[in-house]
Amino acid sequence: MRIRSILLASVLTLLSTQSFADNIQSFGTSTFAELKAGFADKPFVVSLWSVDCLPCRVELEMLGELKKEDPSFPLLLISTDSIENREEAVYILEEYELDGIESWMFADSFIERLRFSIDPAWHGELPRSYFYAADHSFTAHSGILTREKLMEFFSSAQ
Amino acid sequence: MISERFMHVIEMCSNAIAGRARSHRLLIALGIAVLMSGQAAAESCAELREQHGEDHVSIHCGGAPSATLDADGRLWVAFVQNKHVYVSRSDDNGEKYTAPVKVNAIPEDTEFNGENRPKIIVAESGEVLLSWTTKTSPNFTGEIRFTRSIDSGKTFETPRTMNDDGLMTGHRFDSLFLTESGKLYLTWIDKRDLDAASARNESYPGAAIYYTVSEDLGATFTQNFRVSRNSCECCRIAIAPHGEDEVAILWRQIYDEEIRDHAIAVLGAEGEVTGLNRATVDDWYINACPHHGPTMVQADAEGEYHISWFSAGNLHSGIHYGRYDMASGVAEDIIKVDGTPGAGHPYLAKHDDTLFIVWKGFNGIASQLQMMQSRDNGASWSEPQTLFNTERASDHPLLVSSEHGVFLSWSSEEFGYMFKELSHEN
Repeated sequence: MRIRSILLASVLTLLSTQSFADNIQSFGTSTFAELKAGFADKPFVVSLWSVDCLPCRVELEMLGELKKEDPSFPLLLISTDSIENREEAVYILEEYELDGIESWMFADSFIERLRFSIDPAWHGELPRSYFYAADHSFTAHSGILTREKLMEFFSSAQ
Repeated sequence: MISERFMHVIEMCSNAIAGRARSHRLLIALGIAVLMSGQAAAESCAELREQHGEDHVSIHCGGAPSATLDADGRLWVAFVQNKHVYVSRSDDNGEKYTAPVKVNAIPEDTEFNGENRPKIIVAESGEVLLSWTTKTSPNFTGEIRFTRSIDSGKTFETPRTMNDDGLMTGHRFDSLFLTESGKLYLTWIDKRDLDAASARNESYPGAAIYYTVSEDLGATFTQNFRVSRNSCECCRIAIAPHGEDEVAILWRQIYDEEIRDHAIAVLGAEGEVTGLNRATVDDWYINACPHHGPTMVQADAEGEYHISWFSAGNLHSGIHYGRYDMASGVAEDIIKVDGTPGAGHPYLAKHDDTLFIVWKGFNGIASQLQMMQSRDNGASWSEPQTLFNTERASDHPLLVSSEHGVFLSWSSEEFGYMFKELSHEN
């Protein structure tokens, strides 16, 4: 009996790890505030993307290279697609070798509120990115985030 | 089949019961000044799923519905659910709906979101005409699909792919329009020119606009015609009549490789593209997907169009309205409809001398369905009025006009699908 329940438990664990084999986390209305708190007194970059956004792919490619060069680069990568479509997001993240890092997907159908929790002034255009300085003052950018733009952010913050 | 009919009866009954209570609640909660006729029969999908299970197919559960009224004033709605397009009809302006009829027998990855939804038109002779976009890969490829019913919506022909290039590339964001003279125009955003440029190692900003025409209500179509190169890739195309046989379209176009403002053109049945011009000068420098398409309706004067659009440009930021004159190539009476962050997705319609605009705003807690009216051809407008508030997800609002009036077609988690007449202000 005991062996059987242990067996059952391991099968269940296996199943559950299989169904969440990716590194995607749910993004809810309070997630952004929590993530920000995790970067207290530290600068970080937010990149918002969607599977349906072509220019986002250019940005993902740059971010993939960047993370390869510097795995500690402080990046919050958030997909505005429903987390129900995580397979499609993972498929794309794999292409840019970003599937290995933790990233987030919108997990509430009321997307207006999720957008608002990130930035009330954002109209929803993608890609959209933010550079947060150590004091958490931020600069927003609509359109592809290039490496040059990123460097510009970091150098102006110093 | 039996169970489907049975479910439909239950749905109709619960509509009638729940509808009354809800309409009162809405009225009180919102204090609506402008009212809609009839009972609020809208029903949330969550309630239906509780009763009928998760897979319940209903107009209140379907994605991205769009609506039309036929010559007899009957309402037809197309929506997407479980990889199928469905059509449902209502003979009492949205009180009760017929059991949804499956349009495509074989499941397709049909797009359904604010900017991409199935389109439905019913010809005066009764043919039910439908177009939609089917995704063919996660890399922005898609096909423009068309089908029709010649037996009053009982059965549909096997869907056909309308882009004639045979390429696995982007063909998306379809728009469908039937002129009074019976010419059916289907236009979309197409990436064949981008592919060709890439093959030559040339840079090519954006996509292109293509179209095809049917003169026999969808039995046959012409070859595909190009309207313009370098369109934006991700916004719906607005379409309105031009004369008896032609249409005018308004879409987001890329200028100087970086600016995403709007262009307008007139399309003819034999591929003639005239009057191609820049319609909005907002100077929105952006290399991104706005996912915010424009809206347009014909004004009284020939060659004039009421247009509304969203931009975050240097010159115009927020939702704007203007009246574009084909002859002068200029939009006049431009006003900012709503510049608050979160405001977007305007939709225009006209009935008699009244011009209606609806759009969605967001105040940090709730989405607000807003409306304004103009009785002087867009020269002046009423104060914005909030028709509905919802703290849950909702679709872009659409308007449908007929000789009887202007109707709101809107889907939301809270209220389900609603089709409501908008009354004129006195």
